[in-house]
Amino acid sequence: MNRKLTEFAGSLVQPIVAVLLGLLIGALAISLVGGSIMETYAEMWKGAFGSFYFVTNTLSRATPIILVGLGATLAFRAGFFNLGAEGQMILGGLCAAITALYVPGPGWYKLLLALISGIVAGGIWSAFAGWMDAKFRMNLLITTLLLNYIASLFAGYLVAYPLKDTTGSAAMAQTKMIEHSAWLPKLFQGMSLHAGFLIALAGTILLFLFMKYTVSGYETRMLGNNPLFAAYGGVQRGKLMLYSMLASGGFAGLAGAVEVLGTQYRYLDGSLSTPGYAWSGIMATLLAGSHPLGTAFAAILLAALQTGGMGVERNTEVPLEIASVIQATLILFVSAKISYGFLKRRKARAQGGSMV
Amino acid sequence: MDQWFDVSLFNSTLRMLTPILLAALGGAICSRVGLFNVGLEGLVLFGAFFAIVGNYLTGNVWLAVAFAVMCVMLFSLIFAYLSIHLRANVIIVGISLNFLALGLTSFSLRAIFDVKGAYYDKNMKGLPALDIPLIKDIPWLGDVLSGHSPLVYIAFLLIFVFQYFLFRTVSGFRLLAVGENPVAARSLGMKSKRIQYGAVLICGVLCGLAGAQLSLGQVTMFTENMTAGRGFIALVATMLGQSNPIGVGASSLLFGFMDAVSIRLQGLSLPTHFTMMLPYVVTLIMMLFFRDKSYMQEARKANESSR
Repeated sequence: MNRKLTEFAGSLVQPIVAVLLGLLIGALAISLVGGSIMETYAEMWKGAFGSFYFVTNTLSRATPIILVGLGATLAFRAGFFNLGAEGQMILGGLCAAITALYVPGPGWYKLLLALISGIVAGGIWSAFAGWMDAKFRMNLLITTLLLNYIASLFAGYLVAYPLKDTTGSAAMAQTKMIEHSAWLPKLFQGMSLHAGFLIALAGTILLFLFMKYTVSGYETRMLGNNPLFAAYGGVQRGKLMLYSMLASGGFAGLAGAVEVLGTQYRYLDGSLSTPGYAWSGIMATLLAGSHPLGTAFAAILLAALQTGGMGVERNTEVPLEIASVIQATLILFVSAKISYGFLKRRKARAQGGSMV
Repeated sequence: MDQWFDVSLFNSTLRMLTPILLAALGGAICSRVGLFNVGLEGLVLFGAFFAIVGNYLTGNVWLAVAFAVMCVMLFSLIFAYLSIHLRANVIIVGISLNFLALGLTSFSLRAIFDVKGAYYDKNMKGLPALDIPLIKDIPWLGDVLSGHSPLVYIAFLLIFVFQYFLFRTVSGFRLLAVGENPVAARSLGMKSKRIQYGAVLICGVLCGLAGAQLSLGQVTMFTENMTAGRGFIALVATMLGQSNPIGVGASSLLFGFMDAVSIRLQGLSLPTHFTMMLPYVVTLIMMLFFRDKSYMQEARKANESSR
């Protein structure tokens, strides 16, 4: 038990050091623009956790980030770089909106179908990249990236022409509003936090249990840790790749669906890509070293940085982008596995770098 | 069809392909020493931004380009230190470098110029257009080839410089050896780390030039995320060209042409969404035809697996 505890503490050192270094670089940036460091960080804290309202705001921003992060976690654990979360999320959100708008039936039925269609759309888009890799050996890293642009332009076309909301006076490229009965319910009156957060939490726990206790979860981890050993043990790489990409994209699609059904109530062009949910989700995974529970925490941390950044922008002269500077440095330091990992690595230099 | 393939289409092809070509050559050098540089996108973005900053500070285009190159070299040093020295996963370092570029340039845009989204100053001069003495008088060819920014010519020259350097010089062979088998290279007494650092720094110089061409050669302005995936396209060009300078040049030519065609198509009544999609779709299709297996192995050697 004691050894487990030290191991756990050891795995925490690295992210904590990274967060501190990130805040340090942030402080440097703040002082360069001539802001007060303490005041800026105080505003950032207030903007993220200052009141119950802000806390729910942070959690609702974290919702899609958690879900995308879980998808990335699954793919990274299996040893695949799925960088296509953005496109998968956009298609998931779009399909959810279309389903909720055009399928007849009672509200709960539409809601359920919309969520499922979001998962399916994201999953298929992601599995398509996996299929191209397994079948034609096209580099997954590049295909997932390229498919992002294709998905977002395609969705942009649909809402700018055939599906465009022409009822309102606004010239925004967006679909019609989904009717009220098919919305994800809010958790608290007057707050932005919606039931999607509960879905994200359930997903986190399910993925954790799946990875830890099921045979396929074990196979997935094995493939990521040591592909040769996995092949020797009878794991079929191609098949597992398709499944893990399908599930990974499914999470991203669900993230898009939840955001559309819980916050936007329509697909608005750019509303899923502009806030950078997908990339934040990937960052959360990197920060947590692809651990499902850790990913959820990291996602909340990153969301807090972002909502905190808005607080900073409202109340000080320091620009909102300070949050992205801190985020990026944080990830850069984590990627280096400075501190804990660095010491370990010195001993095991001959073995080469690790996967994630 | 005649108005389609006219002079200006090919002329703009050359302009469009230059940032891609420069960055892709940088990526090729990196991949030749076993470092798969996903951070090209971020490095080019840094280059574009610092070229504008340099221009704003010094008022001289050439100093601005030099400033951009210097700054990007600093950032590529981060990539080199983390991936060579601390042995971090190159792909993750590359991804986080892209994040850093996006965040830092948006932040600095607000901090330095106090604008959001884009910075434009009409008094700012871009890179001058250069006429080539003899060629500019040849009827069709002159209009296509002449009158570009000097960086365009430098980019084309560099294809051959790199081809010669890699396959005809001793230092080039050393560089290839390090990428081929770092352990064997080290056992022969080569300073493999130093060579890797050198390759990453060369890549930084090229990305700096690519960025300068993007922000000073074409438009004289900086907009947030103005690379818009060109760095990733350059990465694909590196792969399609099998990290071979001439191959990289050919595939960059293809992407530059697609870029130019997609802008041309916007003149027709097609929705812009589809024309903008064209370079990405063509890239996917080309990847299907030109699969580079040796390249993947190199990436694997450097870091166990490239994906």
